[in-house]
Amino acid sequence: MSTRILTEFELLTPNTIPEALSILNEFRDNVIPIAGGTDVLVAMKFGFSTEYAMSISAIPDLDYLSFDPNKGLRIGANATISQILDSKAVKQHYPALWQSAKIFATPQIRNSATLIGNLLRASPAGDCSCAVYALGGSIVLVSQQGEREVDIDDLWISYQNTERRSDELAIELRIPAPEPAGRSAFKRLTRVNEDLAKLNVAVNLVMDGDKCTHARLAMGCVAPTPLRLRATEKLLIGQTLDGSVLKRVMASVKEEINPIDDQRSTAEYRKSVSGVFLRRAIEQACDIS
Amino acid sequence: MTEFRTVGKSEIKIDVKAKVTGRAVYAADINLPGTLHAKIVRCYEHAHAKVKSLDLSEAAKIPGVVKVFAPEDLTTKFYNQSVIDIMVSEDMRGMLGDIEDQKILTDHVKHYGDGIAAIVATTEEAAERAAERIKVEYEPLPVYLNATESSQDGAVQFTPQKPRNMAFELPEPAFPNNTLGWGDADEGFKEADIIVEDNFYTSKQKQAQMEPNSYIALYDDDGLLSCWTSTQMPKSVQPKIAKLFNLPMSRVRIIQTVVGGGFGARLGMVLEPHICALAMALPGHPIKVQSPREEDWLTSPSRHPGDYWMKMGFKKDGTPVACDAKFVNYKGGYYLDGSGVAFTTGGWVSGLYKFGALRYKGESYFTNQPVCGAYRGYGNPQTNFVLEQLVDRACHELKIDPVEWRKKWHKDVGDDGWCAGVPYASCALDEVLDEGAKAIDWKAKREKYAQQTGVKRRGVGVAVMVHTSGAMPMLLEHTVCTVRLNEDATAVVAFACSDMGQGSHTTLRQIAAETLGFPLEDVSLSVGDSNDAGYDIGAHASRTLYVGGGAVMAACKDALKQLLERAATMLEANPDDLEIEDKQIFVKGSPDRKVAASEICSGGVYPFLNPQTGAPDTIPGQILGYSSFNPMHNSPPFGACFVELEVDTETGEIKLIEMVNGHDIGRAINPAVVEGQLEGGAQQGLGMALTEELYFSTDGKVLNNTFTDYKMLGPSDMPKITNVIIENPDPHGPFGAKSVGEAGLVAPVGATANAIYNAIGIQITDLPITPEKILKALNEKHAA
Repeated sequence: MSTRILTEFELLTPNTIPEALSILNEFRDNVIPIAGGTDVLVAMKFGFSTEYAMSISAIPDLDYLSFDPNKGLRIGANATISQILDSKAVKQHYPALWQSAKIFATPQIRNSATLIGNLLRASPAGDCSCAVYALGGSIVLVSQQGEREVDIDDLWISYQNTERRSDELAIELRIPAPEPAGRSAFKRLTRVNEDLAKLNVAVNLVMDGDKCTHARLAMGCVAPTPLRLRATEKLLIGQTLDGSVLKRVMASVKEEINPIDDQRSTAEYRKSVSGVFLRRAIEQACDIS
Repeated sequence: MTEFRTVGKSEIKIDVKAKVTGRAVYAADINLPGTLHAKIVRCYEHAHAKVKSLDLSEAAKIPGVVKVFAPEDLTTKFYNQSVIDIMVSEDMRGMLGDIEDQKILTDHVKHYGDGIAAIVATTEEAAERAAERIKVEYEPLPVYLNATESSQDGAVQFTPQKPRNMAFELPEPAFPNNTLGWGDADEGFKEADIIVEDNFYTSKQKQAQMEPNSYIALYDDDGLLSCWTSTQMPKSVQPKIAKLFNLPMSRVRIIQTVVGGGFGARLGMVLEPHICALAMALPGHPIKVQSPREEDWLTSPSRHPGDYWMKMGFKKDGTPVACDAKFVNYKGGYYLDGSGVAFTTGGWVSGLYKFGALRYKGESYFTNQPVCGAYRGYGNPQTNFVLEQLVDRACHELKIDPVEWRKKWHKDVGDDGWCAGVPYASCALDEVLDEGAKAIDWKAKREKYAQQTGVKRRGVGVAVMVHTSGAMPMLLEHTVCTVRLNEDATAVVAFACSDMGQGSHTTLRQIAAETLGFPLEDVSLSVGDSNDAGYDIGAHASRTLYVGGGAVMAACKDALKQLLERAATMLEANPDDLEIEDKQIFVKGSPDRKVAASEICSGGVYPFLNPQTGAPDTIPGQILGYSSFNPMHNSPPFGACFVELEVDTETGEIKLIEMVNGHDIGRAINPAVVEGQLEGGAQQGLGMALTEELYFSTDGKVLNNTFTDYKMLGPSDMPKITNVIIENPDPHGPFGAKSVGEAGLVAPVGATANAIYNAIGIQITDLPITPEKILKALNEKHAA
């Protein structure tokens, strides 16, 4: 049950990355890093407790979003969803990400929530997580031991668990440079417009004329973590995206997902619309009507 | 064109600036010096259980805790948080049986979130920490989540007075065979060429008003118990609190704070008994309780869910020969106003169409769910969902246009109303239907959508409704109003009518200004403190403008009469020959023979003695108008709603396109307020139809008492809305006005279901109509 009084915790507000890393090193599993706080603080209202919470919002120069046509997109740990939405480069080169940011929660939450926070909370329903999964990329984790880059494919381990060690801080998301013939799209199903997804899907395709040469497909709310549809991807590669291919894709996705009944929908419904939704995302990405 | 000064104008609502700027003072904003904070400890382990042991000792040790309370530490008198007991005559009360079945704290948990203990501490935080230390042992009991389960043989009895856990059925003495209606339905069905019949389920919808529940109480050194509350019914709460604590009403003061929405959730009491009991236990200390939002779903009453069966027979030409219906509602853990919805749900069936015969049964059964009570519409949306879908099913079979059928068969002026014995005095439903159909382009769209193919299917649907203005003759109707004229001929109008955001204080002020012939700014209101105004039953049953307006009008007429009588004496004229304009009173036809209202009012307040005569030069006495008003009618408003939507047949998703709300208002005192009511109602009606439902685990735990998972439509979900307001003055309402408070919610429920039926040829019989249910039904239809 909820409470009007948050459980007690010590709030730590480092001003530099080394300070933050020292805190993480000291308190490890007893500290939770917070950027926008839009998810952690709500969880606290419903029983989640922590000894220490470390806000990284006072660390300067982590709120960047930079795009280089050759190197791709780099997004700092304090960059908000609103910043994603304000970026012309994201809108033009990474439509799936931009579309997922556009419907993300509400304006107030978009102003506070961060993209990296969304990824690190590891919710199977995260809209931006789904988009980023399809786009591909990596997360830069730093600790007092040094820096490492974790591929987005390896980030989510299980429900709400990630590859991040408790002494590490996620400081940057890197998304590869857009392919000239790349196309992406994001779609989701909700109960009302401003809502958590009951199903979300993102596609990232590279086309050579009519032919698909590369495909990354991601779906959310159908497994304990965001899910990459690897088997279904294979059905697209080297194919012209005609009706028969799309039919096979639609049949395949049902076999790849493992949804459950929950507050937002049923397993049966998710299975039955997963193919339609994936097809529509592909059609949206490729302007097929 | 209007001959009125302020009636008919969209005057700005008087509370709007304070609310928009955040300056409005809600109960939560009030912090009296020395306030202590209370926490009601609730059972979240079980939905049905006996408390075997309760250990508060560790909780009492938490620093800052002032006192901890087990059930027996507060009054253990039974009460009923609703107000049905004070609204009906003794005879009627006798038919309801014992309906006081609640205690402030309980050792028999009847629903998830029932209150078992209380803590008062110097801070909310200390109270919260102490609550975590309470040790409880429960004896779990079987959980009943519907009427079938709770009425079975051997089920645990909720209260000894109600066998089989049947809280209510239409009582035999007033309703032969426990039924409501007319004619012989069985005979009627024999004449039918077609019969439509189905079982429906209507869901547990919550008002989810914006303001969460906060209360303050103080039992002061003078022995006065004051309670600050945003109840819809301050003058009904006052005698109920007095009775519960054995106090004379002179020792109980209810101060109504700004009400952040009610919709029935604040009809009667919620936590007033708790906060007053704690204040009585700790005299001299203001005690405040602020519930988390999530507790509102568990403690204030919701709409009644239930099983609704209906059967209707029609001749080939559409003649509705008979209707048979039964609504079995799931009452929740306690009685509240258990008789009301069981009765009115049938009343709304009886009020709408000219069936050859009607037989309706209504029953309420206790269940292990949070309580049900009033929610905007009071049984009418449930009936609309069922009745209007079956009418459309029959129209489809008979190939009759649904608008034409409704125009032909709805009840009209002179027909018996929703409560037998009160015939309709006005009805503009034909015009509402015609104008509404025109606004949505009904005929063209129906023809066009009959031909469509493809994945996305459009549909347009209609539903009509009749509601009420006030609760007579079923319940007491009474409002008292006083009008005091200041010495400068401005007026102070005092009443206890509630403004829950619906705009009633604004519109009642307009009625006062219009009746007095004063500019709006010359009328101020005295509202809020139960001791400052006479009786008013409270805001419910769409009564405030209608009954309160009647009371305001009568009191203003009384003040005006006194003013004119004095003017007549001063002008040596007959009062009937006088007119008032711009606060000047003059003899008709002789504008020079005049006296200013302010001169009369001032002379009344300052009757200085003339030294020569030893008598006052002016007529002494401040003018005080008064009314103690009981309406003679309930002037039901009719309404028609048209909904256009699009169904995605691959996903079951519904996109709302357009809506037309037609309403038979009688007279729109303030058109913007009328539109606000219609659109606010539409949001809740569409929510009921499409998304809103409180649901439970099999062991009775509420799974979605948060806005994360209790989904209401937001602004971006709403369709384009056109309001069609038809003014056809009613002979009884103030300036011809009828109600609109609840009405806007009703017909959107049936119209949405009928639009879906029009789009895909499927009627969904369980609320809410989710994409999951639509897709399943489409797949089944496809397979068949």
